[in-house]
Amino acid sequence: MTAETTPLLVIDDVVAEYRTGSRVVRALDGADLTVGRGERVGIVGESGSGKSTLGLLTGRLLPKATAYPRGRVLVDGESVLDLPPDRLARLRRERLAFVPQDPVGALDPTLRIGRQLRLALRDKPTDLVALLERVLIRDPERVLRLYPHEISGGMAQRVIVAMAMARRPALLIADEPTAALDSQVREEVLRLLFTLAAEHGTTVLWLSHDLGGVARWCDRIAVMYGGRVVEDGTTTDVLTAPQHPYTAALSAADPARAKDGTRLLTIGGTPPVLTESTPGCVFCPRCTSADDTCATARPAPRTVEGRTVLCHHPGPGGTPVPVPDGPAPKAAVPDGQEEA
Amino acid sequence: MDHIRWLLGRTAAALLTLLGVSVLIFAAVRAMPGSYTDLVLGPLATRSEKAAAAARFGLDRPVVEQYLYWLRNAVQGDFGTSLAARTPVATEFGDRLPVTVTLTALALALTVLIGIPLGVYTGTREGGGRGGAAGRLVSAFGMSLPEFVLGSLVVFLFTRYSLGLSVGTYVPWSQDPLGSVGSLFLPACVLAVFCVAATARTTRDAVLGVLVEPHIAAAVARGEPKGAIVRHHVLRNAAVPVLTLVATLTAYLLGGTVIIERLFNVPGLGSYLVDGLDRRDYAVVQAGVLLAAAVFITMNLLVDLVSGLVDPRIGTVGKRADA
Repeated sequence: MTAETTPLLVIDDVVAEYRTGSRVVRALDGADLTVGRGERVGIVGESGSGKSTLGLLTGRLLPKATAYPRGRVLVDGESVLDLPPDRLARLRRERLAFVPQDPVGALDPTLRIGRQLRLALRDKPTDLVALLERVLIRDPERVLRLYPHEISGGMAQRVIVAMAMARRPALLIADEPTAALDSQVREEVLRLLFTLAAEHGTTVLWLSHDLGGVARWCDRIAVMYGGRVVEDGTTTDVLTAPQHPYTAALSAADPARAKDGTRLLTIGGTPPVLTESTPGCVFCPRCTSADDTCATARPAPRTVEGRTVLCHHPGPGGTPVPVPDGPAPKAAVPDGQEEA
Repeated sequence: MDHIRWLLGRTAAALLTLLGVSVLIFAAVRAMPGSYTDLVLGPLATRSEKAAAAARFGLDRPVVEQYLYWLRNAVQGDFGTSLAARTPVATEFGDRLPVTVTLTALALALTVLIGIPLGVYTGTREGGGRGGAAGRLVSAFGMSLPEFVLGSLVVFLFTRYSLGLSVGTYVPWSQDPLGSVGSLFLPACVLAVFCVAATARTTRDAVLGVLVEPHIAAAVARGEPKGAIVRHHVLRNAAVPVLTLVATLTAYLLGGTVIIERLFNVPGLGSYLVDGLDRRDYAVVQAGVLLAAAVFITMNLLVDLVSGLVDPRIGTVGKRADA
């Protein structure tokens, strides 16, 4: 048992580069994130901001050609980037669990659901019918006999959640787990995921585009941009009073939070594809309140209003886009949370 | 129930195809320039001599009548008499088929036992690197080296330096089963070179294709050991293209051992068929082509059947269960 005082996950100034031939893409450019036990953290940001890379980094699941010029990753105090293959596999097996975007693709198409669950849990005898009942699958005996192409995406994701939670992982990384699902099923899957996580005391890292969902299910939010975490604080603080201009813009561009009849605000320009470290702030080219400092000096993390911000001019004053008014989302306590 | 209906349907279709093939080959053999009478009696034979020979074998009758006569006998297992050797074709096939089948089985065994593990090994080697490049070179070489070149080389080496295995002396199965296999070992090896190379290549490509599938990434993320991933999740997913290739190779070997049989003096079907074709020996050619077609059709049927069992997404066998 590791001391309860060490954080479950420490991502410390990690630089990750995908190298193919002479081409270099810097997916993470000094990312920092520390997650404590039992936290539910939402990671948000546009596509290409480095969310998925950060999620995969936690289990060192990035492509073989990825280089890590700087930084370290600790899960339960173990340095993930330095572990030998067998210890790494054990870490993935015993502490981590991943829930991917495409649940049907994550299942072996040639094996019945029951067979894959038995294979995945072969060192841990489990009552599969009870396991599927926990994830609210009706008629589990029948589902166990089906092949992945014979079940719906929502059901496949429930099977994946069951497979992931069967080992009571310390950390669950869910990469847009509802992106491939119908809107009705989304909420159900999220509820299931967070309820089970609360029951098992599992920490959740939810990579998401859904700011409203993050507001409902997560107590903390980390906003990523250009391979860095640019704002990190409690969901309520960050979403109601963003300090980083990017957070403000992202929140203004969220269609779920826009008021009817108002024009949806967009963020001008496109997110960068980095090939090397930027001299100044990565958001500078798209930021309306940027000045000379922003173009030349890399912002260092600073604490503003109870959260960490990477900005030279933090604060609501620096917000280039007005946040749409209306009721601010509150971080709700999910069902079943009290049982934990 | 669905399985049985499917199998019955496919078998009926196969029989119809065979019937069609028999019509085609019957017509094709007779459409070839130069008839039996021309080739056997020679250019100096008189018209009446030719007519007498034709009448003796029923070649003067209308083609349709000849066909129906042949078909009636063929259904009963009588494929007629070789015009050249004057022996029943069925008897000759009975003697020669086991030789070719043994040769094919040996070559196939080598193919499966060497080609598939080699392909899986090179496919799962991380990065490929130098080993992968060497593997590709060897398989490209093996696939482009003509059988007669390699065969001639082997015959030369083994006859010149007496390397332990005899060349050109076939030992019948009935005399000495082990010796029979031994006498077919060298030709089987020569045949297998292409097949091993092709199988290794196809297996490797299939394995590489499966390795990038998301369910493999999911298994890696679950912390499954590499060996278990290959055993449980890669092999079966990569099996279909390999099965298809091995089935095609089987049919190819059964019909394509001609050169090797000649080279190694093996009394198999291949040499018999080529001789039959040279002499416009209709009965021999008809039976041979029909056999080859039957083998191809059976192998295809088998592949469809097995593919459906290996990969449930291929809906050949039965209907899908409702989601």
